[in-house]
Amino acid sequence: MRFFKLTLLAAGFLSLASCSKYPPLSSRLLEDLAILTQYDVNTNFGQYKTFSMVDSISYISDKSTKKILDAQAKAVLTRIAQDLTSRGYQEVAKSTNPDLGINVSAIEVTNVTAYYPGWYWGYPGYYPPDWWGYPGNSYYYPYYPTYYTSYSSGTLSIEMVNFKKINPKGQIPVVWNAFIRGLLTGTHTTVDITNSIDQSFAQTPVLKTSL
Amino acid sequence: MKKIFLFLILSVLLSVSVVAQEQSTSPGYKPSSYYTFAWNTLWTIGDFNKWVGNGSPAGFNFGGRYFIPGTNFAAGFNIQWQRVWQDYPQQTFYGDNGVALTAVNYRFTWMVPFQAAIDYYFIPSKMISPYISLGIGGDYMEHHLLIQELDIYKTYWDFSLTPEIGALIKFGAFSNFGAQIAFNYKWTTNQINFSNNDKFKNLQMLQLRVGLCYLLR
Repeated sequence: MRFFKLTLLAAGFLSLASCSKYPPLSSRLLEDLAILTQYDVNTNFGQYKTFSMVDSISYISDKSTKKILDAQAKAVLTRIAQDLTSRGYQEVAKSTNPDLGINVSAIEVTNVTAYYPGWYWGYPGYYPPDWWGYPGNSYYYPYYPTYYTSYSSGTLSIEMVNFKKINPKGQIPVVWNAFIRGLLTGTHTTVDITNSIDQSFAQTPVLKTSL
Repeated sequence: MKKIFLFLILSVLLSVSVVAQEQSTSPGYKPSSYYTFAWNTLWTIGDFNKWVGNGSPAGFNFGGRYFIPGTNFAAGFNIQWQRVWQDYPQQTFYGDNGVALTAVNYRFTWMVPFQAAIDYYFIPSKMISPYISLGIGGDYMEHHLLIQELDIYKTYWDFSLTPEIGALIKFGAFSNFGAQIAFNYKWTTNQINFSNNDKFKNLQMLQLRVGLCYLLR
């Protein structure tokens, strides 16, 4: 009887020890794209009309940086331009002094634990302000950036800069950014990526012009 | 007619006395205390069901009761471990400061309730002993929102009430072992607050408990 009681007690403790609070997880959790956007709540996006875009995508990884303009990159740039145009903005050449500028980057980083503005802006091949015709200026975030703690695969970063609000320090504010994560796993099609770009604009309803 | 009526009354009185005799002389005992270890299934209801819609069999309960001498009341405790979870297709969460996030998300709540309980047993000496109970206590809950490998979670302590009905079933008239089956409703002051479209208060649930008990004389 005593042996039976002890066995029952031991079985109970073993059951407790083997219990994990985390349930079995679905593989979809890691496979599907996540779209994170943030905008400057003090910016009136309706007062701007023109924008210009970079002519290729900066690819930044631990090993190298380069500019890419393959079919997928072209599809990405084209979709971003279409989404902005559908919201009333007009694409113009960068030499015509646009209101807004669009930077696009694909980042493959394995050990980044927090997003820190400017960390990767020093990479060669990235679009510094002087590419836009603003030498000596720098980018900054007027709002407190959201920390995104996972770059274990890849992230497509889209940034909108405001050339009409350059401050006396020469800083060009980033007024909207979108991170589409999961891009570089090799399992996502161009349609997945362009649909995610559409979603990044859809979840920022303030991003439209009233001009 | 009078004789028939009298006969019927006498028959009823006789049968009642026979039953009473059986009840007083049938074997059995009222335990002084007992302990249970039970498997617990939970179903979320109300606002809690909007957070996680699935029921969950992932839970267990450990309890003890001590009969108050001279009464059919027993007081004791319950400690529980429970988990509910569900995965959802792509959804958009809107936060403060212009933040929005769209992703497949996986939600789960892990809870550790602990309660004092007072029970009333209708026929505690019988092999099948139904009871009603009221539990009062608290819970520790962790609400997790998983997006890719991000695990965003919030923890809350709360106060809770648990009315319950159930039965103890002895495996024999004088056996020290038995089973317990119980069904309860639980109301808590716990809350879930992740984003502007995920704010819930006063979480509620229904539970079914089936387990084994060890009774002491």
